[in-house]
Amino acid sequence: MASLPTGLVSHTRRVQSLYKKALRCLESWYDRREVYRYHAVLMRKRFDENKDIRDMRVAKDLIAQGEEEVFQKNHWHPRKFPESPGGVAYERVVIPPDWMVDHWHPLEKAQYPTYFAKREELKKKFVDEWTKKYGKPSPIAH
Amino acid sequence: MACLAKNIRAVTRQAALLRSYSIRPASIALKKWQRSQNELLERQNLSLTSNQIHRRYYSPDLIKPKLSTQEIETRVLKVCAAYDKVTADKLKLESHFINDLGLDSLDHVEVIMAMEDEFGFEIPDADAEKLLRPSDIVRYVADKEDIYE
Repeated sequence: MASLPTGLVSHTRRVQSLYKKALRCLESWYDRREVYRYHAVLMRKRFDENKDIRDMRVAKDLIAQGEEEVFQKNHWHPRKFPESPGGVAYERVVIPPDWMVDHWHPLEKAQYPTYFAKREELKKKFVDEWTKKYGKPSPIAH
Repeated sequence: MACLAKNIRAVTRQAALLRSYSIRPASIALKKWQRSQNELLERQNLSLTSNQIHRRYYSPDLIKPKLSTQEIETRVLKVCAAYDKVTADKLKLESHFINDLGLDSLDHVEVIMAMEDEFGFEIPDADAEKLLRPSDIVRYVADKEDIYE
C-alpha cells in the first residue's frame, strides 16, 4: 500500500492529517474519555466553521496556523500505539526478509521439499512476468 | 480508678485465654491442607497432555491470538456502526464511506482513528486515504496481522 513519498499532499489530506494530529494531541492531554470527547467536539466545530472557504490562500494560511498551534500545544509524552512507530515495542520483533530463505543450506531446504518446490515455481513465474512487462534486462557490468 | 483496674483485669484475662489457645493444631491443619492441594495439583498434571504442560503462558498466540477474517469483519462493522453518523441499515462491507454512507473527509478520519483504537496500531495517513470501504479496512488489518485465508 505504500506510495512514492513525493512530498506533494493534497489540501484535503493536509486538513485530514491536521485534524487527526489535533485529536491525538487532545487525547494525550485529556485522558478521561468523556472530557476528551467534549474537547474533540469543540475541535470539530472549529474545523467545521472554516469548511466552506473557497479561497485557497486563506485556507492555506489557516492550515499553517493550525499546524503551528498543534506544534505549540504538543503533549510532552504523547500516547503511541506500542507496535507502531514511536511506540515502546516498535520493531521489537525483527521479521527476517523473505530472501533470507534462499540462502538456507541445501540440507535445510531438503527438510521442506514441497515448500521449496512451490517457491522455485513462484520465483520462475515472477521472473517471467517481469520480463513480459519490462523486456529482457540489458547486461550492464556492475 | 476501680473501673480502670477492672478493664486491665479483663484484658489480661483475655490475653491469658489467647495464650492458652495453642497454635499447633492450626499449623498442622494448614500443612495437611497444603499437602492435599499438592496432591490435587499432581493429579491434574497427570491428566494434562504433554502439549498443555509445555504451553508457555507468555507465548504470542496466548497474549494476542490470531484473528479470523470473520472476526475482523464483525469488529470493523461494529466500529463503523458505533459511529453516530453512520446509519446502521445502510452499512455493508462494500459500502463506500463517502459516497454511500454520506460521511465527509473529517468523519472518515474519525472512523479510521476508531479503527486504530480497535485494532491497536497506527494507520498512516497515506494508507488511510485508500481505506474507503469497510472491506478495504478488513483487508488492511488482515495484511498487517499476517492473516491469510
